[in-house]
Amino acid sequence: MLNDSTFPKNNSNTNSFKLAQEVIRIRLSQMLINELIKKKEFKIPIHLAFGHEAIAVAISNIMDKDDQLVLSHRNIHYNLARLKLLKPELDEYYLKKSGLAKGILGSMNLANEDKGIIYTSSILGNNLSVAAGLALGKKVKNETGLVTVVTGDGAMEEGSFYETLVFLKSNSLSSFIIVENNDWSLATSINERRSHIDIEKLCESIGVDYERLEGNDVYAYQKKMIELKKYAIENKQPICIEVNLTTLGFWRMKTNEFPLGKFVNYHAGNAPDINLLDSYNFFIIDNSEKDPVYVLKKYFDDNLINETSKRILNELKCELKEEIK
Amino acid sequence: MKYITYVNQLIKELVAEPEEIVIFGQNVSAGSCISGLTRGLTVKKDGLILNTSNSENSLCGIGFGLMLSKVPSIFFMKQQDFLLLGIDHLVNTYNFIRTKKPESSFTIFTPIIDNGYQGLQSSLNNFSDFCSIARIPGYAITNKVDAEKILKEHLISPGFRIIGISQRLCSEEILCPSLVNTDEKGNIFKYYSGNDATIVCFNFSFPQGLELYNKLKQENINASLFSVSSIINGDWSKIISDTSITKNMIILDDSKSINLSCNSLIKDVLEVTTLKSNILLSRDLSGDWLSPNEDKLVIDHNQIIEKIKKNNLI
Ligand SMILES: Cc1ncc(C[n+]2csc(CCOP(=O)(O)OP(=O)(O)O)c2C)c(N)n1
Ligand SMILES: [Mg+2]
Repeated sequence: MLNDSTFPKNNSNTNSFKLAQEVIRIRLSQMLINELIKKKEFKIPIHLAFGHEAIAVAISNIMDKDDQLVLSHRNIHYNLARLKLLKPELDEYYLKKSGLAKGILGSMNLANEDKGIIYTSSILGNNLSVAAGLALGKKVKNETGLVTVVTGDGAMEEGSFYETLVFLKSNSLSSFIIVENNDWSLATSINERRSHIDIEKLCESIGVDYERLEGNDVYAYQKKMIELKKYAIENKQPICIEVNLTTLGFWRMKTNEFPLGKFVNYHAGNAPDINLLDSYNFFIIDNSEKDPVYVLKKYFDDNLINETSKRILNELKCELKEEIK
Repeated sequence: MKYITYVNQLIKELVAEPEEIVIFGQNVSAGSCISGLTRGLTVKKDGLILNTSNSENSLCGIGFGLMLSKVPSIFFMKQQDFLLLGIDHLVNTYNFIRTKKPESSFTIFTPIIDNGYQGLQSSLNNFSDFCSIARIPGYAITNKVDAEKILKEHLISPGFRIIGISQRLCSEEILCPSLVNTDEKGNIFKYYSGNDATIVCFNFSFPQGLELYNKLKQENINASLFSVSSIINGDWSKIISDTSITKNMIILDDSKSINLSCNSLIKDVLEVTTLKSNILLSRDLSGDWLSPNEDKLVIDHNQIIEKIKKNNLI
């Protein structure tokens, strides 16, 4: 982990402030989309990823031209990080011809080959082996580059997770398997649906290297990912990276057992408790390490973050003149 | 020459050509090499032959991943039943792939277990069921003529397809009928032309169809003989115009599914032609079809001969 002294507070001129801006941009882009979902603007299901911004920015930022990314149903954070624009993403959600994938893929399968997102699947576990095929393709063609595949704590329960780890290891394929562990799969937490799986031990049994990331610190994540990438490429190894995070947003489900409502973590659609308000710190959802935007305060002064967020929000609103009229 | 030897020889020739191809699957270059199907395969320097672990679901995804990398590949598997584990990819991953125009080739090659002595795991003998679920191009090989056309046209060519062979035929001498015509893709083959009856074979019933053709000929009944290799993009027009001459249609389908792909042909023919006889020879599954058995479509030739003779007199 980086400590606070790694970056001088308030230094908005450093190159590294860009990372913070990216985290904020992805946060605000999602907040704008969330407001549109509340207005029932879209016919398709959309899985927002509030709280997932740090890992997406770090991964996108370490990607080189020959690296490839393979995503799942919850892919908005990576797509926004790679594309650096909101409008084509939104147009795709509107299923317009001007959409990122010409309105053909919608949200749950949204890929962007030009930016290295080769494949995205809405079927849990499906994307893992396709990523293994991409990595094998690189080996056959003697191409450099790393294949990164993103999965979740729910999707990793599928047998294909195990099958793919074995294949990647057996064939010495440089790759990252990112498990975004948010504890939830649809409406059930891990405790409610299964026994604990120790991913580290599972990997160890196959001989796959394992790393855990937590804390939502985009700077720490990026630093670690650069090291891991070097290791994976030099040693022709897969590395499984479990990222502990919280998908921000929740609702309460009233049942006979829970008359006051049972806590259910956000899965898809609008996040009713998250609102784009005209207030100080409007871009922060949770005042804790669960929120990658809050974590930026470790490095940058409140005012700087506030001003930057306002500026980015204005830029995004300009980009979306028509949609948010 | 045996059916499996002929198919193996053709595959050997074809996979040796590309600069870069991945041949993969369980035991593709070990032991009996999938009962001889993949024996002795070699690929050029940049290619790869991979004996894989037992993980059919992932192996299907890996083939599609290679395709997205623009690396051609063939996944050989021991029997179609094992492909059940990869169905998600056949539908969902293939759906993604075909939103673009694929530049590379991915073929899944599998024997269909139409020899019932494997008991419970040989009930699934309908090749077109797999093709139907996602309109996947699929080609069934039944003889020397279709083997050559299908393998040369489809084994390695841009796009995805499944190629099926019959396990029952593997140890038999390969049949070599004379070809009248086929279409560009090898979907439907016409082997003989006659004016008295139209015989159409589905799935792996071509040997029974050929035998029936010969039996009819001995009785001076001249039939046309068709074999449907692929149900996808099937254009029935040639068969329909043949039945409009013969007015007698005899369909053979040895598959055990409820959904028989010949039903679509029957419907289309009946819409435009009044037939004198419309005979469907399919599997009788009223008995015990799950326990080990010979599992063969058996035909009463005399009954058919009598029926056609009677109809043609009228
Ligand atoms: C094979 C399959 N089974 C079930 C589903 C339905 N489903 C969609 S998302 C989801 C939860 C996945 O949980 P996780 O992988 O942890 O991702 P998260 O939504 O938490 O980001 C489920 C069960 C599916 N898409 N595919
Ligand atoms: Mg989850």
